[in-house]
Amino acid sequence: MATIDNEHLTTLKGAYDVQLMEVSLRVQRFGGEEDSRRRYETYTVEVPTTATLLDCLDAVKDKHDGSLAYRKSCRMAVCGSCGMRLDGGAVLACKVPMRPYVDAGHVVTVAPMGNLPVVKDLVVDMQPFWHKVRAVKPWLDTSDEAPPQTEWRVAPEQQEAISKESLCIMCGCCVSECNSMEADPDFLGPAALAKAYRFVGDVRDLDTRDRLRDLNGAHGIWDCTRCYFCNQRCPKGVDPRDAIAKLGAETFREGLHDGIQTLMTDEGARHAKVFIESTYKGGYLRETELVPKTIGPLGALKEIPFALQLARAGKVPNPLMPHKAKDNAEVKRLWKLLEQQTPRHQERALRPEDVTTAKGV
Amino acid sequence: MQERYAYYPGCLASLSQKELDSSTRAISAKLEIELIDMPSVTCCGAGDIHEAKPDYYLHLSARILAQAERTGAEVLLTICNVCCLNLRQANKKLQSDPAELARVNDNLMQVDIPTYSGGVEVRHLLWEVSAGDGFERFRSVAVRSLEGLRVAPFYGCQILRPAKLLGFEDPDRPESLERLITACGAEPIDYPAKVKCCGFPIVLAREDVALGELVQPLQEATDAGADVMVTPCPLCHLSLDAWQQKAANLAGRPFQMPILHLAQLLGAAAGVEADTLRFRRHVTRLSEDVKDKLRLYDPVARV
Repeated sequence: MATIDNEHLTTLKGAYDVQLMEVSLRVQRFGGEEDSRRRYETYTVEVPTTATLLDCLDAVKDKHDGSLAYRKSCRMAVCGSCGMRLDGGAVLACKVPMRPYVDAGHVVTVAPMGNLPVVKDLVVDMQPFWHKVRAVKPWLDTSDEAPPQTEWRVAPEQQEAISKESLCIMCGCCVSECNSMEADPDFLGPAALAKAYRFVGDVRDLDTRDRLRDLNGAHGIWDCTRCYFCNQRCPKGVDPRDAIAKLGAETFREGLHDGIQTLMTDEGARHAKVFIESTYKGGYLRETELVPKTIGPLGALKEIPFALQLARAGKVPNPLMPHKAKDNAEVKRLWKLLEQQTPRHQERALRPEDVTTAKGV
Repeated sequence: MQERYAYYPGCLASLSQKELDSSTRAISAKLEIELIDMPSVTCCGAGDIHEAKPDYYLHLSARILAQAERTGAEVLLTICNVCCLNLRQANKKLQSDPAELARVNDNLMQVDIPTYSGGVEVRHLLWEVSAGDGFERFRSVAVRSLEGLRVAPFYGCQILRPAKLLGFEDPDRPESLERLITACGAEPIDYPAKVKCCGFPIVLAREDVALGELVQPLQEATDAGADVMVTPCPLCHLSLDAWQQKAANLAGRPFQMPILHLAQLLGAAAGVEADTLRFRRHVTRLSEDVKDKLRLYDPVARV
């Protein structure tokens, strides 16, 4: 049996015969604001074959360089502390086994997460992240009504609707590669928007319309470019991009009822509306209607030189003779049927007194 | 690779990107695969409709899948990343949830639309020609070597991520386009932004954010010395091609990067005529040097 002289691994000692392996890591070092030079150091450590990336970093810190900085806490993918980039993609260091990399003879590169300022080595400043999470009011708002005397009645399927979003551990992995946030650092981003949906979709919350109004403005849901990096990176299966899509769907449901259009003023929502109308009218997207109806007639006027450039390449379909799918009457019938089936308002949680009334007691 | 496909060109190849449709038909003829047209299909409900009216999107997709099923083909062939992800997502839901399939079919029946039994797979042209016997078949028809052409692959998002719905290759280190570029006799150029977003979905609603994303691949491909970029997605194509000068204005540097559809690159290597590949429908025109390297006007090599 191999001997273990690595103190932090002594908990494993005696549990079973520990096989060791050598892991090499290329780690980005950066000393903070005083240090303008980002550089890479390569370390080789001996760890059990079951070791994760976090185990390897611990071994580096213990054996090679005590000044290496990174965050960790639970070591079991629950606390969300150890988000960092492995070969350019954000991961929880405690969740990545290193054995496959060793077997492949690949030296991984470890760097801090993206879209957040680096404090030192692998540690990022999470302030911008928390600021955005706070901005979506991450708590239940029932202020218009007195709290019920006993607990809310929430049906399992109502809870199921927000179960994925409730899994978020706020590690920041989804934010790290968010392409829209790279272009617009003020974009609320996948983590905050998934959190927002966790409350918009909560049947006990009474602030749905105001929440949606805030989320439909600048840097809100329509900033998302659907690159799906967030779904790919999330270590907990939250699928933040899907949550953003659900916020869009809620916007359409809450925004169109009672003839009130206040939620539908964002260019992103108008763009989506043209898409829907296009399929209804002819089955296909009507590209020539997209520009004026999304950015308004004045905005479209400014885009005339650009449109002419596209027209020269044959890219502007004739608006007077739009392409029409065969049998599109089927689609019209389908739309009308589904609209009849769509509930106009979000379901609400039942208060205990409602339950009593419903039972006729 | 199948012998027959239910062919779904999607909105863009039917409208502003007709050169993609003609190139796809031409390369399919070279590969000796049959494309079966579906005249009644609509937009797949991608992106915006999926977001705003998810149930309408699911039904639109089910109607398309049902039509594909009625052609007798086992695979629906898409040439658009966005159609690929959205149709696969709807298909997975319908195939894996019998109650949901029954509900959707019940709705379709109520309005006299043929129903779907869940028997079709959705696959992208890139996947069909970059692996297995499809790749071998392409190699055998790639009779014109595009030697000397430096090609930057640009994958686009929705053919890679989320991998659990797509899953053809490693979303962070894909190599299907590189394999095809090499098979064309050209040289693949590597650059980090090849797996990133082109910004297209928000280019009308948030032009500044979209252009901020678009600049990155154009800049990196230019700096890496690419002659052209190639993409399997018509939305990426439109963004990289038509919005290129706006991106150049934002970057404060000129770009002159011709963007090829995947089917155009394959077509050029297989000796499809320039009139069919229709490069004149691009906003960013091909330079004479690139035309030479694409061997557009060479007589087809006889093998």
